[in-house]
Amino acid sequence: MATVEQAQPIPTTPAKQKKVGQSYWSLVWWKFKRNRTALVGGILLITMYISFVFIPEFISPYSLEHTSDYAEAGPTRIHFIDAEGNFHAQPFVYGMEQKVDFKTRSRTYVEDTTKIFPLHFFVKGDRYKLFGLIPTDRHLFGVDQVANPEAIVLIMGADALGRDWFTRIMYGGRLSLMIGLIGQILTLFFGTVLGVMSGFYGGAVDQVIQRSTEFLSAFPEIPLFMALAAAIPTYWSQLTVYFMLTVILSFVRWGGLARQVRGLILSLREREYVLAAKSAGASDTRLMFRHLLPGTMSHVIVIATLAIPGMILAETALSWLGLGIRPPLTSWGTLLQDAATVRAIHNTPWELWTVPFILLAILAYNMLGDGLRDALDPYGAR
Amino acid sequence: MSKIENEPLVEVKDLRVEFDVRAGIVKAVDGLNLTIYRGKTLGVIGESGCGKSMTARAILNMIPKPGKITQGKIVYHRRISNNGHSQLDDIVELTELDPDGKIIREIRGGEIGMIFQEPMSSLTPVYTAGTHINEAVSLHHLTPVRKVGDQLAEQVMAHKAVSKEEAREIAINMLRRVGIPKPTERVDSYPHQLSGGQRQRVMIAIALSCEPDMLIADEPTTALDVSIEAQILDIMRELQESVNMAIMFITHNLGVIASMADEIVVMYMGKAVERAKVLDLFKNPKHPYTQALLKSIPHLGDKKKGQRLASITGMTPDPFNLPTGCVFHPRCPMFMPGKCDKIVPSWKQVDDDHWVSCLLYEEV
Repeated sequence: MATVEQAQPIPTTPAKQKKVGQSYWSLVWWKFKRNRTALVGGILLITMYISFVFIPEFISPYSLEHTSDYAEAGPTRIHFIDAEGNFHAQPFVYGMEQKVDFKTRSRTYVEDTTKIFPLHFFVKGDRYKLFGLIPTDRHLFGVDQVANPEAIVLIMGADALGRDWFTRIMYGGRLSLMIGLIGQILTLFFGTVLGVMSGFYGGAVDQVIQRSTEFLSAFPEIPLFMALAAAIPTYWSQLTVYFMLTVILSFVRWGGLARQVRGLILSLREREYVLAAKSAGASDTRLMFRHLLPGTMSHVIVIATLAIPGMILAETALSWLGLGIRPPLTSWGTLLQDAATVRAIHNTPWELWTVPFILLAILAYNMLGDGLRDALDPYGAR
Repeated sequence: MSKIENEPLVEVKDLRVEFDVRAGIVKAVDGLNLTIYRGKTLGVIGESGCGKSMTARAILNMIPKPGKITQGKIVYHRRISNNGHSQLDDIVELTELDPDGKIIREIRGGEIGMIFQEPMSSLTPVYTAGTHINEAVSLHHLTPVRKVGDQLAEQVMAHKAVSKEEAREIAINMLRRVGIPKPTERVDSYPHQLSGGQRQRVMIAIALSCEPDMLIADEPTTALDVSIEAQILDIMRELQESVNMAIMFITHNLGVIASMADEIVVMYMGKAVERAKVLDLFKNPKHPYTQALLKSIPHLGDKKKGQRLASITGMTPDPFNLPTGCVFHPRCPMFMPGKCDKIVPSWKQVDDDHWVSCLLYEEV
């Protein structure tokens, strides 16, 4: 009886009340930051998302619509030493002259060493609105187009219309990376909600949801995509089509996640704490989403992270097949489609620059996902 | 006071719970009668699988699938509190309520709390003690917070509406009441940071945070070591006195029940075989099963050399294939051939407040 209402005077300094033990997430962070690979993946992704999704207008030297006379020009060389052998502290590009071979009708570009255009940071160029709000005309780097209208810098070459390929990759990344993220968020939503319900209620609800996932996964993916993509009316705006594509991708892919969540819930729901919460008067919804769902989160986050590359690749593949995003919009898939002909590979091999960007994004996601898998189990051995 | 002492709170009448499984129908509880009085402790003892826990779950209308209540009533004498004065009786038939409905959810936790055998796994691992308490309080219109304080805070929020700070205060107070050292720190602890005894105290704090009229304790100390057990029992007794709460104490530990209960019901294979006041039962057990149970308690110094501890012969019967007549007859030392295997004993009063179900006390 001594233990009850022991009038222990507790030193209640407010500072002392705060830090008690380590929360789960602080342990996760502690473990995560010791994993170099994952950290690199995470930083890479953050950098990519910031530069591709939020500020591609600023990073790329031209606007997406900017066409030039330098069709199919190769990457512009950036020089420090001019033809006379003088060193310039500020890098520069030469002007370019087009030569057409009238026999083969192929174009070649020759550097005109008499024209020197220095490269600048924060140079004035095409007008745009930063974040869609702030009107500006500054670009991260480029040549001064106002002073020298014929100057151009194409660090990754130009396409058949003379558009800067680097600019197109930047803008393409916006759609491709966003489709991966938004699509995965939708998948996560459908997958967890349906998975939790399936596992918690069992019986008829479980049957319906599980048979639906089986039905979806039994379909060969590409024909299913084709059918669904063909069902999108052609008169819809580009943005709607883009959004629908996201929905289609997540619609086809929620099943796997739902199954995994269901499996976890099936074991978690037998735990005594569910019974305890129920006996405390918690409703089914509360049990499912407050007591059961958090227990699956570490698993779900990892699955979701590792599934985003699949989403990005699916978009790329679909757009490459001409089923996804169509040309006026630029995504990595449509860029690959441009580069997919023999002619393009022969004449403009620099259009394959898209590939390393896709690889980098996917690699970064995998590195991050792997690190998360270890970190989210902070009590594990590794 | 005597009127209040004998005011029934929950009456279980002729309760039958059946499980329809592939191998047949199992009667987990078969024709059970018991009454829990306000402010009193009813002990329920019996072997594993005799239907103790199912009875408790039936009271909260939480029978797991594929179980069903196929017969009987559970009458709950509900008090509706008006401005802090609980008055006005309302009689609720618990088995007829929608098991996911609003009323039963108000009763669960708010009016009938429950604590479980396994303190190790009875707290949601992602919430602190405080969160748990506040959940309960908020669920029952008290308001929510998060942590073991969350687990507690959750309870508080679920059942009476308060601000976050208040909920935290409530959680801390509850933790202090159940004797957790440094409650202001422990309120922010996650279950894995607490010891088994502390977790069970948190569970008790959750159950008590809404000041229920009744607490169902389903083997609350089985998983704890003996010294912690004693502390937990002390806490329960003390809190019972302070809030005049009824306790239904389920256990298979005769020593524990002797110190806790006012009245004891002995169960065997889903049936009550004997019911008596605690002293009466220990001094003067009537049913052969009860007698055998009491004999199987080791007594210090009583043992002669080479003597073995008494045990009940035989095994518990196959639930799909129960013996005819009295279910205990194959193991009963007083077995009367031609009677016990033919006739089902009735529920008979043999003394004041002493009931037994055995043909030895019937004229047949």
